[in-house]
Amino acid sequence: MRRVEKILVVASPVGVFVLWEILAYLGWIDVRILPPPSSVAITMVVMFGEEGLLDHTAATLFRFFIGMAVGVVPGVLIGLTMGIFRWFRAFTNPLVALFYPIPRIALFPLVLILVGINETSNVIMIALGPFFTMLISAMYSVLNIDRIYRDVAENFETGPRHLYTMVTLPAAMPTLMGGLRISVGLGLLGTVAVEFLVGESGLGHVIWNSWQVLSLQRSMAGLVVSAIVGFAVYLSMDLLERYLVPWQKKTAPV
Amino acid sequence: MPPESDDPAVTSGGRSDPAVGIRICGLNKSFDGPEGELVALAEIDLGVREGEFLCIVGPSGCGKTTLLRILAGLEPQFGGSVDFTVDTDGKPLQSMVFQEQGVFPWLTVLENAAYGLTVRHVPKDRCRAQARDYLRKLGLSAFEAAYPSQLSGGMRQRVNLARAFVNDPAVLLMDEPLGALDEQTKMLVQTDLLRLWEGSNKTVLFITHSLDEAIVLGDRVAVMSNRPGRIKTILDIDLPRPRDALELRNNERFLHLRRQVWDSLREEVVSLESDENRAPVAAGAAP
Ligand SMILES: Nc1ncnc2c1ncn2[C@@H]1O[C@H](COP(=O)(O)OP(=O)(O)OP(=O)(O)O)[C@@H](O)[C@H]1O
Ligand SMILES: [Mg+2]
Repeated sequence: MRRVEKILVVASPVGVFVLWEILAYLGWIDVRILPPPSSVAITMVVMFGEEGLLDHTAATLFRFFIGMAVGVVPGVLIGLTMGIFRWFRAFTNPLVALFYPIPRIALFPLVLILVGINETSNVIMIALGPFFTMLISAMYSVLNIDRIYRDVAENFETGPRHLYTMVTLPAAMPTLMGGLRISVGLGLLGTVAVEFLVGESGLGHVIWNSWQVLSLQRSMAGLVVSAIVGFAVYLSMDLLERYLVPWQKKTAPV
Repeated sequence: MPPESDDPAVTSGGRSDPAVGIRICGLNKSFDGPEGELVALAEIDLGVREGEFLCIVGPSGCGKTTLLRILAGLEPQFGGSVDFTVDTDGKPLQSMVFQEQGVFPWLTVLENAAYGLTVRHVPKDRCRAQARDYLRKLGLSAFEAAYPSQLSGGMRQRVNLARAFVNDPAVLLMDEPLGALDEQTKMLVQTDLLRLWEGSNKTVLFITHSLDEAIVLGDRVAVMSNRPGRIKTILDIDLPRPRDALELRNNERFLHLRRQVWDSLREEVVSLESDENRAPVAAGAAP
């Protein structure tokens, strides 16, 4: 990345915060509704020290990772199988078409009735978005593999083991990474959403609870921490991509 | 193997007792096109001699790739017969070098070159040793750890060739492997290719749209007609070997042969230009 770009990457969020601070200082925005970054930062430090914000952050991260694993792993496996085997696709595709378009939040009451209000229902809710996203992108990643690579594999009489590990999976990997990026966003969204609804812990709980007692600075502090978590997760996707798709020259956004 | 005297494509050559390596008889192939059935190949008869370098030229769209794909086993449905009678000596029967390259972007140069051996469960050390050997001959040693996206077009073509040669098949099917290269690079790779082939006893079918290339490389040049493709003429290229891709081009015999091939091909190209929907080409146009 060029140096100018590196500077811009840091400068743009910092700029937003500085502008926000200045506008609050000048009284152009109502600090009761939008407290300035400096006071949010102070509140945040206090909350880390006295109100267990770190534990809430850990709880959110924990739910997020479990939910992602529960969604992504079966999603990828089922999706790849659907892409590879025509007969399997023929009988699973209608089911996907049936369940995928249902708004996932509308399934929440059903999930609660089935498994009760507990960590299991949270994980299921978080996992649903990543599951369908990975399933669909995995299926299409296989279906869209360039014919030339299948022909080469066939011409060299590639057996199933080498076909899947040396051709199908790597050819599908860039599309899978794209699906994973979207899944991460859905997973974070789902995590905060279930914490809003049933949480006794987590950043979503902090944000929602503070808001209900009209402690906007606390709510804002929770929001900032969850934004930082999201930012870190997103950046780690770049590292993961470099590791999983090393052959691709990428001009990553950050 | 007995000489095949009843095969016109084989006996038209000047050599004595050439054993047939691939016998193609009455080969037909059609596709379902948007405007109904599209006949790509019509009644192809061709005997490829064991160990020869046979070049095929023909107008664009005449079915050259289709012919090669049938030989490569990638088009299971066709009419007529294809028999491989080459002595494989325990080697794989054939490997194809694709027109669109098909070098795997996710494998390194070394892994690409070794691909054929790897999928045949050859021990890793031997895969690497053999792949390195060909990469060295093709001047790619310094790039064995690179990914194809880090190479120039010419180097990627060399990887494509290396992958087929490392697999060490009895028959090499090459579909315009040097088509995308500039003239200078092309001549260098042609010379590399000749060196690799001369040291082997492989049968090569080599498709090209360059007459110069066909004559520089081939023992014989087959000219195909417009679609539906037939074998129109087969010319013997009696230039001495080993050949040098660069020097040959000023050789008088070369220019004469070039003229002959062009005369045969020109009719096809001209008729393609003047009438796109022409009926099957008139038979008996061979000199
Ligand atoms: N899978 C296919 N489905 C339908 N038509 C096809 C298919 N493959 C080839 N054809 C048609 O068959 C004809 C011959 O195609 P082919 O690719 O063999 O030509 P070619 O001689 O290799 O041409 P070029 O010199 O441009 O590579 C063309 O008209 C093409 O449109
Ligand atoms: Mg072609």
